[in-house]
Amino acid sequence: MDDVDVIETHGLTKQYGARRASTAVVAGPWPGAALAELDIVVREGEIFGFLGPNGAGKSTTIRLLLGFLHPTAGQASVLGRDIERDSVEIRRRVGYLPGGIAFWDNLTGERLLYELAALSGRPPVRRAALLDHLELDGDTLRRPVRTYSRGMRQKLGIIQALQHDPDLAILDEPSEGLDPLMQRAFYEILDELRGAGRTIFFSSHILSEVERVCDRVAIVRHGRLVALEDIHSLLARRKRNVEMRVEGEPPILEGVPGISDVRRAADGRLSCRLEGDVSPFLEAIAGSHVVDLTIEPASLEEVFLEFYEDV
Amino acid sequence: MNRALFLHTWRANWVRLLIVAIALAAWGSVLPIIYNAFGSQFRQLMESGAIPRQLAEFGGGDVFTLTGSVALGFIHPLSVGLNLVFAVGFAAACIAGERQRGTLEILLARPISRRVAYGTLALSAALFVGLTVGALTLGAYLGSAVTGRLAELGVGNLPILWLNGTLLFGAFAAISLGASATFDRLSPAIGVSLAVVLVSYFLDVLGQLWPDAAGLQPLSLFHYLDARADLAGLPAWGDFAVLAAVIAAAVAYALTVFPRRDLAAPS
Repeated sequence: MDDVDVIETHGLTKQYGARRASTAVVAGPWPGAALAELDIVVREGEIFGFLGPNGAGKSTTIRLLLGFLHPTAGQASVLGRDIERDSVEIRRRVGYLPGGIAFWDNLTGERLLYELAALSGRPPVRRAALLDHLELDGDTLRRPVRTYSRGMRQKLGIIQALQHDPDLAILDEPSEGLDPLMQRAFYEILDELRGAGRTIFFSSHILSEVERVCDRVAIVRHGRLVALEDIHSLLARRKRNVEMRVEGEPPILEGVPGISDVRRAADGRLSCRLEGDVSPFLEAIAGSHVVDLTIEPASLEEVFLEFYEDV
Repeated sequence: MNRALFLHTWRANWVRLLIVAIALAAWGSVLPIIYNAFGSQFRQLMESGAIPRQLAEFGGGDVFTLTGSVALGFIHPLSVGLNLVFAVGFAAACIAGERQRGTLEILLARPISRRVAYGTLALSAALFVGLTVGALTLGAYLGSAVTGRLAELGVGNLPILWLNGTLLFGAFAAISLGASATFDRLSPAIGVSLAVVLVSYFLDVLGQLWPDAAGLQPLSLFHYLDARADLAGLPAWGDFAVLAAVIAAAVAYALTVFPRRDLAAPS
């Protein structure tokens, strides 16, 4: 089942007019493009993280997939259908949560969900479970949406995107505005969807969230794909921060495989970065009198920042 | 047409529609009552030459015949303004306004093509305009009936007047919808639509009051509404065709432009 491609892009490129070039590709065959030659494949049943700094091309990609934008070059398919030719058919099977979602605020939450389900043309089979998970009760739903807090609006946004049980959910910053408890409830919803074989295309800035929920991630910068990896490979590759205190002669760490950025202090403290196999490091410190040792994994944020940094 | 979008649009607008329709029906009934009360005095005043004929027959209407007073009711700035609540207010906002608010996102994320969305909104606008012009026409009928002057009105020709009025305000609605489909923000859509209406009204009034400017009147859409001729059973079908052609051109423009536009993320 995991071999079926839900999203497939080949050389997908979007070039706006000159006015929008400030957020665009700065070099390569498509200078000025908001998105250049994107090649990604999202498989059925996976949660795919789509990451990048502001203006990197994340929203442009999502809007191309949903038919809001027309590609300048390249092709893409969603659920086996061409994004240009079959956009309506694609949207019939997709749920979408835009970033910073806006609603018809004069409607009650209940009415809004009803009307959006009617517009989707599919019964809201997951609505009750989602309301329960996200703790939106009847009293709240009977109030006009304009009275809702930021977090309540976000819950409503998640429900409207998932209530008709779409085959593919495209979620742009889905946990924005949710408190930690509701974030956890949202992750449980994602786990359930994954268990049911649904596919999630997930844009987020919260890296701990990406680490928690995503199977694979793509990282875009300046409109170009800079990494596409399994989340576990990405985490395995991350460097660890090592801090130790030694008495007597400090170990010689320079030149040890996987060790970098060695720093020494006068009081016997020593820090470095460790990547890959730890055995050479352990062998290097074996002859020293180590009185304190801490090895912490670098945060996922640091891994991503390596990709985000300008070359 | 998308039924769910159609129902959503009606639910969102029915209260405003009701208020505007009641106001137009009331206005439509007032002028026959004024004619009934003061028509003969106005006629004497007119025949005395105290009022220039151009002013006394503003917009093809007058208050010293029943058909003239009904015609005046159709072209008066008050009824024009009320009819524009939907012909411009609704039509210019239904795409550009949703886009500005960000709600077009959740609509077009549904399985609705832009052509179908436009067609549904255009149909809604047409029905709103038809109902508001219908309320004005009904008011004229009721005002004439209350004053016992129905025989002077030519009731059988009221549908022709309704059709002519609906085509006029339908043309403004089609132009406004075209502007709405073109812009990302509401203000330029409203601005273009109101500019068309105001220039049109100005040219028509100028042509009526100043004989040397009469040649400008065919450039005005208001020129193609002749309520008195409609009520006399002598409609200028060519005028109807001109208004229908304007609607067709505006619809064709919007159906070409809207689906091809890039809808970038709201800023």
